[in-house]
Amino acid sequence: MAYDPASLDAPFKALAAFDWGHDAAPLAAIDAAVIAAHGDAAARDDVEKRLAAILAPGPTRAAKEYACRKLSMIGTAACVPAVAGLLGDADNSHMARFALERIADPEAVAALRAALGAVSGPLKIGVMSSLASRRDAASVPAIAALLKADQATAVAAAKALGAIQSPEAAEALAGAAGAAGGPLAAAIADARFECAEALLRQNRRAEAAAIYKAVATAAAGKPESRLIELSATRGLVACADTLAAF
Amino acid sequence: MIRLFVRSFASLCAAAVLAGGCASPCFAVDPAADPVATVITLLGSDDADLRAIGLDRVRNGLEGPQATTAIAAIVSKAAPTRQIELVRALADRGDGAAVPAVLALLLASPEAEVRAAAILALGQLGSGTEVAVLTKSLAAQDPERAAARRALERLKGADVGKQVAEAARHGEPALRPTFIDILVARRERSAAADLVSLATDGDERVRLAALVALAKLGGTDHVGGLVDALLKTSSAGERAEAERAIVAVCTQSRDPGRATEIFMERFKAASEGEREALLPTLGRIGGPAALAVVDGLIADPDAAKRRFGLKAITRWPDATVAKRLVVLVGETQDPAERAQLVGALIRIAPLPDNKLDDRQKLELVKQTMALCATDEERARLIERVNAIRTVDAFRFVLPFVDNATFAEPACKSVVELAHHQKLRDAHKDEFVKALDKVIATTKNPELVERAERYKQGKTWERKKSS
Repeated sequence: MAYDPASLDAPFKALAAFDWGHDAAPLAAIDAAVIAAHGDAAARDDVEKRLAAILAPGPTRAAKEYACRKLSMIGTAACVPAVAGLLGDADNSHMARFALERIADPEAVAALRAALGAVSGPLKIGVMSSLASRRDAASVPAIAALLKADQATAVAAAKALGAIQSPEAAEALAGAAGAAGGPLAAAIADARFECAEALLRQNRRAEAAAIYKAVATAAAGKPESRLIELSATRGLVACADTLAAF
Repeated sequence: MIRLFVRSFASLCAAAVLAGGCASPCFAVDPAADPVATVITLLGSDDADLRAIGLDRVRNGLEGPQATTAIAAIVSKAAPTRQIELVRALADRGDGAAVPAVLALLLASPEAEVRAAAILALGQLGSGTEVAVLTKSLAAQDPERAAARRALERLKGADVGKQVAEAARHGEPALRPTFIDILVARRERSAAADLVSLATDGDERVRLAALVALAKLGGTDHVGGLVDALLKTSSAGERAEAERAIVAVCTQSRDPGRATEIFMERFKAASEGEREALLPTLGRIGGPAALAVVDGLIADPDAAKRRFGLKAITRWPDATVAKRLVVLVGETQDPAERAQLVGALIRIAPLPDNKLDDRQKLELVKQTMALCATDEERARLIERVNAIRTVDAFRFVLPFVDNATFAEPACKSVVELAHHQKLRDAHKDEFVKALDKVIATTKNPELVERAERYKQGKTWERKKSS
């Protein structure tokens, strides 16, 4: 179906006032336009602009959610400022992250990185999770610094570093391991296993073994850390095995 | 994946930790060391958690048959409980290089549990070569016997089925039915021809096992042999199994149409006496060709032939003969014949998958109700109506709750229909009123309990018959 901008005026007007439970039929034209915009740069720009405009103050939360979902499919650097504007909004931050995690342009991850220092509490944890899903090595220093924050944030930081799996992430986790206790210690151990597993997948056995060895040594002799020690021991044995059947 | 392992492994180890097994695993694993030697050391540990790590490597790591052979070589030296866990791990590893060691363990171990573990492992790792030793174990006591049966059921190899079929023909007499059961478990369709000959074996247990097996493995090529077997049966049980096998092949095999054609050809070529013996089977198979034969017999002036024809039509598998049955009920002057025909209508009218839609089924029920001559027939029909899971069936049966003669079967039907939540919820008010009426009427405590539960939106679990 050819792209027809004029036909979208009414559907976008309906979208601005759309709420959950309302008839979604008027939005079908926007769904079709998103599909039709594939391979048509001009159409994509137009639809992206219209969707980004929905993210400004005024339209409903349901409309913003819809727009973020569509922008996650066709969004580019052009819509990033509008989407990033929602990252500090408790109601819409998660949908903004949903879009930014999926927009391929580097501006999207840069916006997430910038937001990490600007938001707090659960929103900060959410932004860390999105940076982890993008496996953004550049955000490791900022995330590593959060290993000293409150427990919930620190645990989330450990998980994020475990997902990023870069050498710097592994180093940051190793550095924080000694002082950590309780849930943070478990999260750090788990994240370090993630890093070791990634190395093992790349056949970097010596580096993986070094992580396992360090974790095992730190846990040795502590009854409360026995499971961690056993898991690390198992990792060491896997490093010695030429058959990576995990 | 390691994290996945860590989690599953953690739960695996949790019990040991909680049980107070806090000895430190502090195991100096050298990543540069020979992995097989490392795993063997772990397997020799007294720490169950470390052994679990070693067993995990046996299952999922250590490349190549040389590693398998090296690990398998320690089996004979281990304590019995460790032999069992190691043999199981080797079996899961799936490398046939462990077979000689497992076989040696089977022959040497004085422990029945160890031998059973070895037998099961041979079932996973072995091939046709192991059939003989597993067959020998089948003659032992449990747990070896059960393990041998399971092993023969899962043993891989092109010639395994052939060897098991040979054992079913000429093996240890007491075990021949078991070998036939194993053929069924293995889905050895290629053994069906052997089973046909076993269906006329001198040993009744073998014949019965073969007939049961042919119901599952038989095809068009075996219909003739099954008919011969049916004609030679010497007991009612055997006859029932033969009939069941023929009906299964003619209705559920890969080419049921052709199987039925073959049965009909065989039927037409049979002597009069043989035809009489085959008629009940003909009725259960159904279909237009069978109906033509049955109609001819019913119309025959010979009373005996008519009796056989009626017996066949009253065993029909679906409602395609409903009209014919209704006509016959109208024509007959014999009360016994009438009861037989009405009984057939009561059976087939609400039958699921009887080739009628729900509306047609209910119409046939109503028509049959009008033909019922006794309250016993009406009660049976009312009780069977619940097989039609519609609100119209519910509304048909509900008024009978108020009739003292039919109250119990009607209550049962109402409760059975209420069992279906979708139907019940779609007509909630009607069902609640009906269930109240059932509670006030029935003398069956189970029906009262069920009615109460359904009213509260709860379900009810049918007790499994033993």
